[in-house]
Amino acid sequence: MAATVVARGNVSGLKNKDFEKLAVPLLDGLYNFARWLSGDADEARDLVQETFVKSLKGFSSFREGTNFRAWMYRILRNTFLTSRTGLERRNTQQEEEEGLAEISISQETPEVALIRRANTELVQAAIAQLAPAFQEVVLLADLEEMKYQEIAEALDIPIGTVMSRLARARKQVREHIVLTLGGRRTVGAK
Amino acid sequence: MDGELDPSAEQAFTGHLQSCAECSAALLEQHELKKAVRLAAKRFSAPPELYASVRRQISPRESARPWLRWSPIAASMVLLAVMSFAWLSRSSAPGATVAQLIDEHVIMLASANPVDVISSDRHTVKPWFQGKLPFTFNPPELAADSPFKLLGGKLVYAQHSPGAELVYQVRQHKISVFIFQARDVRGEPSAGNQTFVVNGWQQGGLQYYIVTDAAREDADRLRTLLEDANRS
Repeated sequence: MAATVVARGNVSGLKNKDFEKLAVPLLDGLYNFARWLSGDADEARDLVQETFVKSLKGFSSFREGTNFRAWMYRILRNTFLTSRTGLERRNTQQEEEEGLAEISISQETPEVALIRRANTELVQAAIAQLAPAFQEVVLLADLEEMKYQEIAEALDIPIGTVMSRLARARKQVREHIVLTLGGRRTVGAK
Repeated sequence: MDGELDPSAEQAFTGHLQSCAECSAALLEQHELKKAVRLAAKRFSAPPELYASVRRQISPRESARPWLRWSPIAASMVLLAVMSFAWLSRSSAPGATVAQLIDEHVIMLASANPVDVISSDRHTVKPWFQGKLPFTFNPPELAADSPFKLLGGKLVYAQHSPGAELVYQVRQHKISVFIFQARDVRGEPSAGNQTFVVNGWQQGGLQYYIVTDAAREDADRLRTLLEDANRS
């Protein structure tokens, strides 16, 4: 599990070297996140580079106690949202979110065996078919193992929205796996 | 499941699980799902050149730039200083690089996990580097009675550039073979130090270094094998 990085100490004393020490270990995770968001290797590379340049510029104003990792992911996500692909995605995301029903957490007996049978490609396909708003929450929660509050900071959304999106995202991943593997049960039934 | 409950709520929930089969089964399913997503979501690794380029962008020398805007005289002085530094650095770079590679070799010797890809099969080790390095090379094919044994390989960096470290064993000694693009890392090595033998050469646009505490003859023999394997 990646440790939560919170900058401490005299902020005015933080220098480029401190930035490098804090930021470079996040590069691989940021790149993975950028690849999922953009779906393109070159764009992900540009996004990561831009994120590092922007965050270095803003590092002098970085506040003590702020979660550095959430801050970096937030910069990356904002950079993505203002890119051409990001704008297209954002429009799609709004349409999809409008059509969503109220959250319902299934109480049915789980299909644990089916989930265990799911191979990596199938789970990747299940993540890929999620709407961007759900995909980013599930990536930050399950892969980066961020706390809900940290995700809320990174995505600039209320913590309640984090929880509801995460529940829906997981439900959709589960449904995709169970349906693909031909489970007999009706998934997602109340 | 996400570690978000406070201790009292968690205790209550754990107590509930013991008497509710439905909830414990649901929790098990969520755990399995989270595990599957975590494994599948780590799909992409940042390419080595991205690390190098980001490090270049954020290195402290960037802070010298505002000086260039201050005045032409200041700019000239900075330029002169930079040129002098570059010239001095160039003349000392090989020594610094070799010292760094000796350090890498020592770290490898001391590490519980000395290599990232563990294999004595060159057909496993070579493909492992594909996509991680902007160049390719051929580990030599070792005869069954060869004193050398390939242990594996890992990624290394020198002068902000990615490279390969192949680790071989000869009798009780380990040998590191470092391979970089010659345009990034170059220079004739010194004779090494009192403890380690260093052997370096360029071939096919690549810079090779051998670092070992084995006999110099062993380093020379392995160099010959590598040169033969990478002859075009």
